Amino acid sequence: MAEAKAKRQTDPGMSASKEDQKALYYHLIRARRFDERCRRLFKQGRFPGTYFSAVGQEAAAVGAAFGLGPDDVIAPSHRELGAYITKGMPLAALMRQLFARADSPDKGKSHPCHFGYPEINLLTPASTMTAQVVVGTGMALALRMQKKPNVVLAFIGEGGTSRGAFHEALNFAGIHDLPIIYVCLNNLWAESVPAYRQSRITKFSDRAKAYGFAGFTIDGNDLLTVYQTVREAIERARAGSGPTLIECLTYRWYGHSEIDPANYRSADELESWKKRDPVALYERHLDETGIMSQAEREKIITQVDAEIEEAITLAEASPHPEAKEALDDVYSFSPAANFPARAQPTPPGGLT
Amino acid sequence: MKNVTFLEAITEAMAEEMRRDQRVFVMGEDVGAYGGVFKATKGLHDEFGGERVIDTPISEELIVGAGVGAAAMGMRPISEIQFSDFASCGFDPIVEQAARLRYRSGGGWTCPMVIRICCGGEIGGGLYHSQTNENWFFGTPGLVVLAPSTPYDAKGLLKSAIRGDDPVIFLEHKKLYRWVRADIPEDDFTVPMGRADIKRPGTTLTIIAYQLMLHRVLEAADILAKSGIDAEVVDLRSLRPWDKETVLDSVRKTGKALIVHESPLTGGVGGEIAAVITEEAFEYLDAPVQRLTGPDVPPIPFAPAMEEFYMPDTRKIVAKARTLAAY
Repeated sequence: MAEAKAKRQTDPGMSASKEDQKALYYHLIRARRFDERCRRLFKQGRFPGTYFSAVGQEAAAVGAAFGLGPDDVIAPSHRELGAYITKGMPLAALMRQLFARADSPDKGKSHPCHFGYPEINLLTPASTMTAQVVVGTGMALALRMQKKPNVVLAFIGEGGTSRGAFHEALNFAGIHDLPIIYVCLNNLWAESVPAYRQSRITKFSDRAKAYGFAGFTIDGNDLLTVYQTVREAIERARAGSGPTLIECLTYRWYGHSEIDPANYRSADELESWKKRDPVALYERHLDETGIMSQAEREKIITQVDAEIEEAITLAEASPHPEAKEALDDVYSFSPAANFPARAQPTPPGGLT
Repeated sequence: MKNVTFLEAITEAMAEEMRRDQRVFVMGEDVGAYGGVFKATKGLHDEFGGERVIDTPISEELIVGAGVGAAAMGMRPISEIQFSDFASCGFDPIVEQAARLRYRSGGGWTCPMVIRICCGGEIGGGLYHSQTNENWFFGTPGLVVLAPSTPYDAKGLLKSAIRGDDPVIFLEHKKLYRWVRADIPEDDFTVPMGRADIKRPGTTLTIIAYQLMLHRVLEAADILAKSGIDAEVVDLRSLRPWDKETVLDSVRKTGKALIVHESPLTGGVGGEIAAVITEEAFEYLDAPVQRLTGPDVPPIPFAPAMEEFYMPDTRKIVAKARTLAAY
């Protein structure tokens, strides 16, 4: 029944307007240009650790996040850069986190690509795959209890759906009709393990059947399809009709991180997906519909590149954290102070 | 004043905080109309309804992890783990999420939540209904770990935990639930976290304990007093952070320290306390710091004779304290 009421509407009211389609291009190209620039920065040794590129997956991330409002929440994994940018995370904040600077949102504590930004309701995730899906489900529970009209968008990869935590979270969200949309970016590879070694099923959205709500598998490289499908799920969740699982078929062009040569994949497979480059596909759509000319797009790219260079300048000018700041933000209190109140009244009434 | 059991003190703390603060809610297995497997949530479902007293599926990772998410969004969740033996199923959300959310976000996100965990032996529960796993959490920065021994402390500490801004592991020893009663004030009160309490002043030696073992130590102290051994008994109450000042002050006075806990010896709370006493009060010591704990086996074997062998008890505490006093 849940599936029946959640049938995809292809409601024309939820399709992207011309202005929306221009804005979508802006976010898409920011995600692509920023990502490729970060790869170069890492290879140049400009920031420590490693870098987890999301190139190839931008349409799924941007399209999913575009339908959210400011008070909606994202519970991210680690490869949805386009979603964080679309939700409004400043490029300088992203760059400061990569550069592990003192004024980074995580103050240099976390990890290059576990981006979080409370100002835009972007949860700071952990590296334990799927944990964000459980925590995100609790965030949706809170929104329900607070009687707010908002929703949570929780991201996961196809590999992450293998964890028990995925089952616990979606099972609970189904029982309580929570306002959450689970967006599974199926890029065929969980680090080096292919999707067919994650599950016997081939459509990961089929997992939703076990939880009594709708699941859809869509072309994750088609920006407008992603936007419209997720947007409809968002509106259903806002209306109290519960969760949706949306599997976006996509592909990451580079390794799991920049230290992974990704030689477990065939060159043919990579080439076939590069032919379906989500940016090129969308540019073709803009050309065909005349929504945005190449000249207009080039102007935007120039602006975006300047914005990225400015973010790099700001990040590199930011101070490094003091080493002893490693001791901060463990508790709300300072453990060294060992709690101020010293005198202890003897409990009245004796002990037992 | 009113006379309550340890269990009633815990139920009252939750009910009063839920009345005081709409953000407080309870989730866990069987906590709803059934009132919890030990009846800790008795009456809460009737008073506050299923929206705020949520029966969950058998899903410890969800019980804790959804609590983390709700806390991050401004709620004050109380997640109940039915037996500490099952806390392992919720380990990622406890250790990687609740304990690290504030740190990994540079203080941007916080996790004000309470994870109530029922634990402890001497009840014939066998291998998976008797564990006291405080050492798992004791070694995890970012968690506050509380282990009260009396109804007064249980109620006051649970209220402090609910009102606080940090993730708290609140350990409830199931033997104490109905076995311990006390008069407590009618009016609202709290007990501050991070403070030990001297439950019995003395001069011969310091015995440090918590939860059920605190009561066994007090019984032992009465027996020891008859032969002129005057033990000072420190109830740790709060394990992380623990009250070094009170412990060190006591040891500096008596010159001898014995730590008693139910969990196995190696990697236990006692080792850390012994290390700090040795580091910071070495010149005051008249004997090596001693520990009396469960043995290094999976806690706790089922056969009654084996459980009795496992548990530190009054007789064993008396014997250990006599040896230490005579050192």
